[in-house]
Amino acid sequence: MKNVTYRWNTFQLYDYRGVEEHLSAMAAQGWRLEKASGSLWKYRRAEPASLRYAVTYNAGASRFEPGPTEGEQSLEELCAAAGWEKVSGCSKMQIYSTEDPAAVPLETDEALRLENIHRCMRKSFLPGNIAVLLLMLFIGRDFFLALVTWDLYGMLKNNALLTAGVLCLAEAALQLCLLAGYFLWRRRSRRSVEEGGTCLPAGRWSRWASLGMWVLLVLLVAAFLLSELDRGHRGAVLYFAVYMAFFTLINILMRGTTALLRKKGASKTSNIAWTLAVDVVLCFTLIGGLIWSRYETDWFSDERPTGETYEYRDQNWDVSPRQDFPLTLAELTGEEYGHVRREAEDLGSVFIPQRAYRETALLGDGPKVCGLGYTLWDLSSPALQESLLEDLLEDDPIKFRSMTLFTLRYVPEDPVPWGAEAAYRRYYDEDPGDSWLLVWPGRTASVSPDAEPSDAQKALISARLAPEDWKEETT
Amino acid sequence: MAREKFQTLTEPMFYTLLTLREECCGTDIMTRVSALTHGRVDLGPGTLYNLLDSFQQAGMIRETSVSGRKRSYLITDKGRETLRAEYLRLLALTEDYKTCAGEEDLK
Repeated sequence: MKNVTYRWNTFQLYDYRGVEEHLSAMAAQGWRLEKASGSLWKYRRAEPASLRYAVTYNAGASRFEPGPTEGEQSLEELCAAAGWEKVSGCSKMQIYSTEDPAAVPLETDEALRLENIHRCMRKSFLPGNIAVLLLMLFIGRDFFLALVTWDLYGMLKNNALLTAGVLCLAEAALQLCLLAGYFLWRRRSRRSVEEGGTCLPAGRWSRWASLGMWVLLVLLVAAFLLSELDRGHRGAVLYFAVYMAFFTLINILMRGTTALLRKKGASKTSNIAWTLAVDVVLCFTLIGGLIWSRYETDWFSDERPTGETYEYRDQNWDVSPRQDFPLTLAELTGEEYGHVRREAEDLGSVFIPQRAYRETALLGDGPKVCGLGYTLWDLSSPALQESLLEDLLEDDPIKFRSMTLFTLRYVPEDPVPWGAEAAYRRYYDEDPGDSWLLVWPGRTASVSPDAEPSDAQKALISARLAPEDWKEETT
Repeated sequence: MAREKFQTLTEPMFYTLLTLREECCGTDIMTRVSALTHGRVDLGPGTLYNLLDSFQQAGMIRETSVSGRKRSYLITDKGRETLRAEYLRLLALTEDYKTCAGEEDLK
């Protein structure tokens, strides 16, 4: 039979009533609080007892102090004289218990209690909440901007962006609700105290909201990872796993540093400074190193199912080029190529599937190469397709040190030779390039051959890339 | 509008200051207040701790000695002024009551 159990702490700092009721209920079930620090509270098995718990607040308490401050000791002394024994401290919340049903309550002045709670909230909770809120708004800024301007493609184009965006939005909403909830509670409690009553119960909603946030986090992250695995992006999943492992490790090491320095008797200032320094160094080395390795190494690259390759003229070529390409270079040009390399990749998101194809072939015996690339977006929703087109057709200025070198833009052209509903050619300022955007109902394609295709080649591209129902309608 | 701090005193504030006309520690304050009011006013240790802290910050009491965890306090001139002002305010309330309701209501 286990003698220790843990519970996730979802109480707000000001929810003293919730804490008191919870601890009394746990004691009645035979579990007594042993340590309340951080998010996990530790309970030890004991005889079920009718125990009174009470919470008071000490604005001077800090987890960086080497031991109980003089203030905490004085408070303990007063409480002991009144029959209350200290159980644990969690941030500025001090938890006491007594078996004496007649012991004087810890707090006998509700106005003072409310004022003291607000002092503690101002010192720790409110700055933390506001910091998290601002951080969420900063991280999710692209998603929020897309949401505000109702840019569907901007919101849904990428699984990672979508997951992070929804999480940031939910967390920002949660923080706003918690802040609003606290100020509402304070206002109602102040009115109650002015009328001779007590501070009001904080309500269970904040606990459910916090739990809901965790459930949402787990579900979204699971959905993101499964979706990435499904598309063969094992590198992204590995990167995420390592990132989370490092994040957890940094958290543990930071708490360990604080605890060690407390044990060694370091002053509060010194503890904060060292913990901060350790945090910065760890973040810089671990997270910074991870980001560096993502771009500078192939540790997190996806293993593409390219099959066996061989080297010729300093390049790798496919022994057996994949056959699942809707259109190949050989079909487009009518030429035969001795050395070919084909790659396909799933991009986009679950809402905006995007598949990119790229084929490179050696011209004759080399060294010149030719290529064909195309990307297909299959979107059954006209609104999504419209949003995608808006994004793709937007002028894209290419800059170097804030000076615009040229602007990439799409110019409409006759869609009939392409057998499409609409066609656009990409221009570099006024110079035409060899990329086209073709639009059919439900499908958009971006095609980049090496040269301008003939009408016959355009018809072939359309025949291979247009959706089946469009082809049936037009033939 | 928020009430200015210590402009008027609550019962725990009033009795804490009253008790500190003589030097005493926190535990003594709790005992004396309870005895003085015949148990009508009980001072919770959490309330008392925060009161002492607030009074000290406001310069209304001062710490006189520390012996281990035991700290003793004494009221300052500013504290006496505040206490006297509260007494006069309560007296004014009493006088107003007498003027309006008369002595017979008290019988």
